[in-house]
Amino acid sequence: MNRRVLVAGLALVSLVALLAGLPGGLTAQGKVVKIGLSLPLTGADADGADAIMKGAQMAVAEINAKGGVKGYKLEALVYDSATPAAGQYDPAQAATNYKKFIADSLVMAAVGPVMSGEGKAISPILSEADMATITPSSTNPDITDPKFQAQYRPKGKAVYFRTVTTDAYQGPNMANYLFHAQKIKTVYILDDGGAFGVGIADSFQKRVGELGVKIVGRDRLDPKEADYKTILTKIKGLNPDALYYGGVMQAAAKLAPQGYEVMPRVIKAGSDGVYDLSWPKQSGKEAVEGWFCSQASPELVTSQKLEAWVTKFKTDMKRDPTNYAITSYNAVLVVADAVERTVAASKPLTRSNLRDAIQATKLGSIQGPIAFDANGDILTRTVSIYQWRDGEIKYVGVAPEK
Amino acid sequence: MSTLDVLLQQVVNGLALGMMYALLALGFTMVYGIIELINFAHFSVFMTGTFVGLVVLSLMGVTATSKSLTGLALVGVLIALFLVTMAITGLLGVLIERVCLRSLRNVSGTAPMITTIGVAFILINAMLLIFGPQAQRFPQLLPNWRWELGGAEVTFKQLVLFVVGLLLMIALSHVVRRTTLGKAMRATAQDADAARMMGIDVDRVIVLTFFLGSALAGAGSLFFGLYYGFTGYYIGYTTGLRAFTSAVLGGIGSIPGAVLGGLFIGLTQSLGGQLLGVKWTDVIIFSILIVVMVFRPSGLLGARTPQKA
Amino acid sequence: MSALAARLGERLGLARWRALPIARRRQILAPVLLSIGLAFPFVTSNAGNVDAAANAYTYVLLALGLNIVVGFAGLLDLGYAAFFAIGAYGYGIAASGQLKPEWSSLWAPLEWAGQVSRLAVPGQSEIVQFHFSFWPMLAISAIICAIFGMLFGAPTLRLRGDYLAIVTLGFGEIVPVVARNWEGLTNGAQGLGGIRTPKLFGFDFGFSPYPYYFLGLGLVAVAVWISIRLQESRLGRAWMAIREDELAAGAMGVNHVHYKLLAFAMGAAVGGLGGTFYVAKLTTATPDMFTFPVSVMVLVMVVLGGLGSIRGVVLAALFLAFLQSVILQELTEYVHALGRLVGNDFLQRVELITSLELIFGLILVVMMIFRREGLWPAVRRVSALTLEQQSVAPARGAAVELSWARAAPGAVGPGRPLLEIESLRKSFGGVTAADDITLTVHAGELVSVIGPNGSGKTTLFNLITGLIAPDDGSIRFEGVEIGGRPSHEIVARGVARTFQNIRLFNNLSVLENLLVGEHTRLQAGVLGAIFRPPWVRAEEERAVKSALEVVEIFGNRLRPRLDHPAYGLSYANRRRTEIGRAIMTRPKLLLLDEPAAGMNPAETLELMDLIRAVRGFGVTVVLIEHKLDVVMDISDRVVVLDHGVKIAEGAPAQVRGDERVIEAYLGRRRRAA
Repeated sequence: MNRRVLVAGLALVSLVALLAGLPGGLTAQGKVVKIGLSLPLTGADADGADAIMKGAQMAVAEINAKGGVKGYKLEALVYDSATPAAGQYDPAQAATNYKKFIADSLVMAAVGPVMSGEGKAISPILSEADMATITPSSTNPDITDPKFQAQYRPKGKAVYFRTVTTDAYQGPNMANYLFHAQKIKTVYILDDGGAFGVGIADSFQKRVGELGVKIVGRDRLDPKEADYKTILTKIKGLNPDALYYGGVMQAAAKLAPQGYEVMPRVIKAGSDGVYDLSWPKQSGKEAVEGWFCSQASPELVTSQKLEAWVTKFKTDMKRDPTNYAITSYNAVLVVADAVERTVAASKPLTRSNLRDAIQATKLGSIQGPIAFDANGDILTRTVSIYQWRDGEIKYVGVAPEK
Repeated sequence: MSTLDVLLQQVVNGLALGMMYALLALGFTMVYGIIELINFAHFSVFMTGTFVGLVVLSLMGVTATSKSLTGLALVGVLIALFLVTMAITGLLGVLIERVCLRSLRNVSGTAPMITTIGVAFILINAMLLIFGPQAQRFPQLLPNWRWELGGAEVTFKQLVLFVVGLLLMIALSHVVRRTTLGKAMRATAQDADAARMMGIDVDRVIVLTFFLGSALAGAGSLFFGLYYGFTGYYIGYTTGLRAFTSAVLGGIGSIPGAVLGGLFIGLTQSLGGQLLGVKWTDVIIFSILIVVMVFRPSGLLGARTPQKA
Repeated sequence: MSALAARLGERLGLARWRALPIARRRQILAPVLLSIGLAFPFVTSNAGNVDAAANAYTYVLLALGLNIVVGFAGLLDLGYAAFFAIGAYGYGIAASGQLKPEWSSLWAPLEWAGQVSRLAVPGQSEIVQFHFSFWPMLAISAIICAIFGMLFGAPTLRLRGDYLAIVTLGFGEIVPVVARNWEGLTNGAQGLGGIRTPKLFGFDFGFSPYPYYFLGLGLVAVAVWISIRLQESRLGRAWMAIREDELAAGAMGVNHVHYKLLAFAMGAAVGGLGGTFYVAKLTTATPDMFTFPVSVMVLVMVVLGGLGSIRGVVLAALFLAFLQSVILQELTEYVHALGRLVGNDFLQRVELITSLELIFGLILVVMMIFRREGLWPAVRRVSALTLEQQSVAPARGAAVELSWARAAPGAVGPGRPLLEIESLRKSFGGVTAADDITLTVHAGELVSVIGPNGSGKTTLFNLITGLIAPDDGSIRFEGVEIGGRPSHEIVARGVARTFQNIRLFNNLSVLENLLVGEHTRLQAGVLGAIFRPPWVRAEEERAVKSALEVVEIFGNRLRPRLDHPAYGLSYANRRRTEIGRAIMTRPKLLLLDEPAAGMNPAETLELMDLIRAVRGFGVTVVLIEHKLDVVMDISDRVVVLDHGVKIAEGAPAQVRGDERVIEAYLGRRRRAA
């Protein structure tokens, strides 16, 4: 019987060894720079995260196809930052993922996170490790605000870089646009209770207040509620010129059709949270008609010069791109560029050196020039305004900065 | 709109919303009345029903973007939709009873309820995996007629919801009070063992109860889809919890109580939203639930008491 | 496979291990498990795994807390995440810059203690900066949570189990909404940021996972220790008695209001520890982190491991937490790699983590149907009988002495009334179950109550023991009115009972059943149960000794089965255990409801000896019995009830001949004749 136990044990051990070797054995050998991607690939934020992941993967694939960077192959190490317990992104899981990246000596930088809620948990961790992350979509201004430096980057140096503009510009610039171009005098503001939605609605509210627009009310939607008629009726009774919605698609999918039913003629605007190409499919073409939305980047997807890129993305990744697929694609390019400059300057390829190189980035890209200020925020602060017309999203123009 | 008009409109909204809760609470409260089980899965069956309805409609060639139907074609599609969907959700209910709950029927304590939570999680996540997290559009089959009522507006859909809710309440009360099946149900509810000795096939009665309750959930799901024009994997939780609160408020096990409770919750939600803000909706509704539980556990019309025997 | 496992177990000396006493096993296991825990970070090369393990310890804490509420006390709490949230926000608010009250001298003591500091704001008055230390906050958060636990528990006390679940679910929904909307306190949806990390003797825990790992391990060890101590104390027995049979628990003197609130408080406090630890490690807290799925996940952990099973719950929590944060993720990697290898598109895209909630649902359903006690249930201390124990001939005890036995009945003073019932009335709907009953029982007497089925005998017992309140009339025990008082109070005065349909605590052992009877004689509270000071140890020893004495009354009937769960006993032994449990309360008055029902003639004789012996201890006995030979043989006096009315009373022989009694039993003669 001893032998049987032994055989069974050996079989088990070899199976474990085989499994453990499997992913490693399938990756490229040689000099590798890993880029950590911690994204909420499951749960409520899955679709947006998927586009972001594919944008990054496309950049990695393109760079490797050209032979890598100075002899280094890039490799994307993807972890899911959503958990079933949270039902969406989970800051604790994001923190765990980043600690895994830090523990992996080949991970030199990261792309992510998708959500600012994750960013608040991981930014101090990155600061300790002196490792840079480049977020394609997290827009909460606090994380990079020097006022909160002690909280989010206790070591001082910027580690949280962004290829998107923060909410500090997106919400106010939409307010500017509605005030100057649409001449609104009164507005009702809704948010969806999420960190992103509340933050952008707050920044919008602050700016419209400064512009002298009368805020007739502010309330909060439960994104899992089915019936928004109550709040819409209340808003209709207050008769504002415009409705601003800060939040993401879950509530917007129901807000649009019910808003269309209750008050079709009010000007309605949202943020990049409702810049979602599937909106007409979810809510109906006529329901989204006229809605304004914004993007914290120059106009990209719908512009002519990007057509080639979009076509390639669609063929390679088998899905439609989003703007954040592009900012994520560019985030990888920023890392690759920093690796190239670090090696060219014959500095050792460490996280610190790479962080320094990223800080000094001056890169032309399909979203325009990319450079960062001392806090990690992108210097280009363009906010683009779009409007839904006849089931398609149409570029309106750059939002006024004042 | 004047303030009074807004309030009137909110009352109309609240009544329609309340009838939606009532529709869901009816089947739930009936099952509770027979086997005294708080069936969390009921609201997931309701949610599943909306997706079943979507599939049935698309099999008939009706999607959210297809041309609107009128006349006989519309009536035909609606009849087929309701029959098939209610049959499928009814069978789903029977399946849940046979596979998950029958062996636990005589187990005391919270085991059966924990099981229904498990079933609810399975259904919710199965729908999530199959249909994805995004809201799905539900074809708008009913015409968009609307009428002025004072300063408020009543839509045809709201009217349908209201009439159907009341009719179902009356029909269900009739089934339970007057028919042979109803008598067998009430006998089973009183004392299953005695009912069995009197020659009542208790298993069959319980299966039929689940079928009826789940078919009602199926009907409710279609009204939900037709009224709101969308569905999502999570609607069973939020809407379901409100419907549950309605049933408890009205007096769990009481069929007219479910409707009364639903209307009360619907009005509370719309007037509370108007006066206090919708961000406090959940706090208001659950506070009502807790207060009712503490001071009048048998609800407005309830004969049964949820207190310990 | 199982044969293989069995042989492996044999090789490793599993049988010998099982033979060891629990305490000895613990002495060996505790250091072994602790060293494994301490060694883990050095074995794994990945700091990410250590971080995941530290998070998993949070879930272990939550599961242990919920286990006290659901597992021990049987109160299904579906909103447990609320306490996780309150604990987290409690520390989060105290250790971040969220609250900035204006400076006033009231803050000076805290400033002196180094918990807050003054911050000058240009152009405004000074504000207070919070930086409360982690260690005292750990205790303070736990206490805050305990208070909330009692607040949330209080409305549910009167409710049946499933309704209780709903109310807790309601609280679980309300707490995150309040956290989201009360922006001044919680910073709303943006969440708290920059929460201070713990410091110990100048060492800052910072953002490395290692110190948190060891802290988490320590907290789990403490929570396990507390759980074990509570489970094996007077409190644990009271909780489990409530869980098994609330009514019988009350009849044994357990105040269910008190112990349910205590369970809510203790469970919430452990959850608060978890929340404080979690948020100190993460340095941020948002309302999304504490929603319903968290409550369900913790419930799944408790159900999977086994309700009430500490070891099972710990293992299940570790397993599920790792399944969520590590195992499914890595498994997905393998599946993707496999997909690339075989060129399968589906395998490359599948995300196993999305099916975790589906797995949770399946776990709940499958466990409830097939294995309600959990994968690794609580220890069942079934020790095999020794040959000696098996070969002992059944002997009647009865001749033993109880150390607390009261003086001989004569010494109490003959004729002194012990129980005085006057004009007692109770009706249920249209049925009058007690109609103007007046009855006096004197100390030292043995009175039997007989009557046809439905004559109101059990109702009379229920009225005396406080299970139901009388409509009218009075019940005095030793001159004190007890009518309508809660049953635990009446037990404490010295009235004990058994039930017609035997209500034992089925999942407790015989010994534990008996010890519940001792409940009112013991003093230990929460701290006593946890720290077990000498006086608690002494009273526990006394209780066990007392139980062994009581067991002696039954000869060797129960002795060898002391460690057996009550559900496995024979019918007669169940009766004996129930009588023993009632005697354990040291009653002055013992009410026995049909004790001889279902016993064979030999057993009945033995029972009669026993009742006489109990009487010999100075206990007054009132008996409901259908076996008239028993009644006539041992009673001093017989009371006959019919339709709630006392129709006869007197010496056995006298009652036997009473016309009305015969009529009640045999039916009325036709009057028309």
